[in-house]
Amino acid sequence: MLQHCPKEYGSQGIVPFLIALGIFLQGCGLVFDAVEWVHPLARHELSAICSKGQVRVGISVEPFRPFVFPAVYTDEGVRVTGLDVELIREVADALTTYCGGQTPIVPTLHLTRFHDLFLEMIEGKLDMFVSSNGGNIPGARPAGLWYSIPYFHNDGIGAIIQNPEVAERVRAQFRKQAGNPDTLAAIQAGLSGLTVAAQKGTTSSLYAEANLLNVRLLICDSLPASVETKDPHIDVILSKHSILDYVTNHVWPDWHLLTRNDGAPLLLTQENFSVVTVEENRRLQWFLNNLLYRLDETGRLERMRRRWLEEDYAPTRRAATEGLPFEVSKVPDHYDQGQCRFAAGR
Amino acid sequence: MKFRVLLLISPSLVFFLTWSSISWAQAPREEIENTAQHLATLLNVGRLIVQRNQALINDPRIGNKGFTPEVFEQQVLDEFIRETHIDLKHDSSQLPSLAKELLPVLLESSKEVVADAQLVINQRGIGYKNFVPATFGSQAARKFSNRSYVKIKQTTLNPRNLKNTPDAYEENLLKRLATKPAIDTSITEWIDNGMTLRAVTPIYYSQDCLVCHGDPKGILDISGYPREGAKEGELAGAISIRIPVNKR
Repeated sequence: MLQHCPKEYGSQGIVPFLIALGIFLQGCGLVFDAVEWVHPLARHELSAICSKGQVRVGISVEPFRPFVFPAVYTDEGVRVTGLDVELIREVADALTTYCGGQTPIVPTLHLTRFHDLFLEMIEGKLDMFVSSNGGNIPGARPAGLWYSIPYFHNDGIGAIIQNPEVAERVRAQFRKQAGNPDTLAAIQAGLSGLTVAAQKGTTSSLYAEANLLNVRLLICDSLPASVETKDPHIDVILSKHSILDYVTNHVWPDWHLLTRNDGAPLLLTQENFSVVTVEENRRLQWFLNNLLYRLDETGRLERMRRRWLEEDYAPTRRAATEGLPFEVSKVPDHYDQGQCRFAAGR
Repeated sequence: MKFRVLLLISPSLVFFLTWSSISWAQAPREEIENTAQHLATLLNVGRLIVQRNQALINDPRIGNKGFTPEVFEQQVLDEFIRETHIDLKHDSSQLPSLAKELLPVLLESSKEVVADAQLVINQRGIGYKNFVPATFGSQAARKFSNRSYVKIKQTTLNPRNLKNTPDAYEENLLKRLATKPAIDTSITEWIDNGMTLRAVTPIYYSQDCLVCHGDPKGILDISGYPREGAKEGELAGAISIRIPVNKR
């Protein structure tokens, strides 16, 4: 009798068994979901960072001085430095404290092309990225990404020029407005017909594509590429104001900031820079927002701003003393600042 | 009779085995001193090759510079032959066995430094990259020391990198060297009752070094450090080597 059991079970009992199993497992899933909702069982992103002892941070390989300087060689090996790198150190220190302080949380930097940072973030290759990137510009937030409260306030999109006549064209427009300033109108009229360059994927290119319809728009792989391009001749380069302020003073003295008629900085629009992570990382998001709020209220963010934007310093020396190493395997081979090409469909 | 022979042979055998095991574990002093001199020469040659390629490395117009670890190695080997008449790659028979063991490790460490720096070296649009003889030498010495019982270090009386601060022995020697005419050999001394060799090879400022280390004194150089106000031929620092007689 017993010898026949498997056969009977196999031919007649297996179907009800599978149905019962399916219902049971479905039920299990629902129960699991309910418990997870009330009290998360799965390891969340912060405990994963603690257990790995490292936080994976993306940073742009294109230099956004003074937020990230080009990598240099030091006595300790290859290092990057800048305001964004100092912020990453603060985040790592705070994570070390959060994780119990027994072992330091090491920031593993992934130097990646700017426009690839978003993809790598969504693909789960990064825990966060920091790259002087603002989330308040329309079109700047790809679906699935979350932007922290600002770590760098009151920046915006600025412009640099070489030919003073370009500045005069814009200033003439402001004069016409006679005390009732309208920057967008002045810029649209003043730059009409000129060749304007912006870096691919950045908020300045989004601004230009949306607002500067009467210019010849060049999209460049990097800011250095736009400065280097001679054919076609570029009249205006758009980028973050604080970056342009630094590079015109320290790197490309032939270029000058476009200013208002009274010499004040001309911002085409305001932008605040945020740390970016994915939408699901709710605990990490709160951790970042709480940390940035504390850094702001203690004056730490302001000190960082002054340190990198106002002090006189040599980036190489700072790289040697406080720079961070990065994963060379995550850097494009033979980093090249690339080229410029006319924007499609214009 | 057999017992007597055994009694005679045993102490001799014990003495022979002890002596041979000691000589097997310990290289003769002369060999160790010779090896220290060759190690210093090889590290210095690596520094020289970096210096010779400085204009290429710092050229912002070129992306891929072609200054690969293999190119670096070939230039080092050629210069080493020129300075010592020893072909490290094909005929190192003139070298003592300890040097045959250690020089390839230093060469490999030096190549690794150049490999690690490729990303920085090949950046287009960036001029000064801080890949200079000093930073190369610090890293090459560190990599070598991490994988060997022999320790190499670059040191100077006023180091820009505090990790290169001289110890008491080095400081004393550097102070003496700074007041004397330039020498082109290592100063060697056996310490710890003859169990450790210390060899210090002085490095002197050449004209190329003065771009960063020369006048005007106190004014920041391109890397952000105050210039030392040095003159050509003055003592810049030294390569300090420590080799214990026992390998472990």
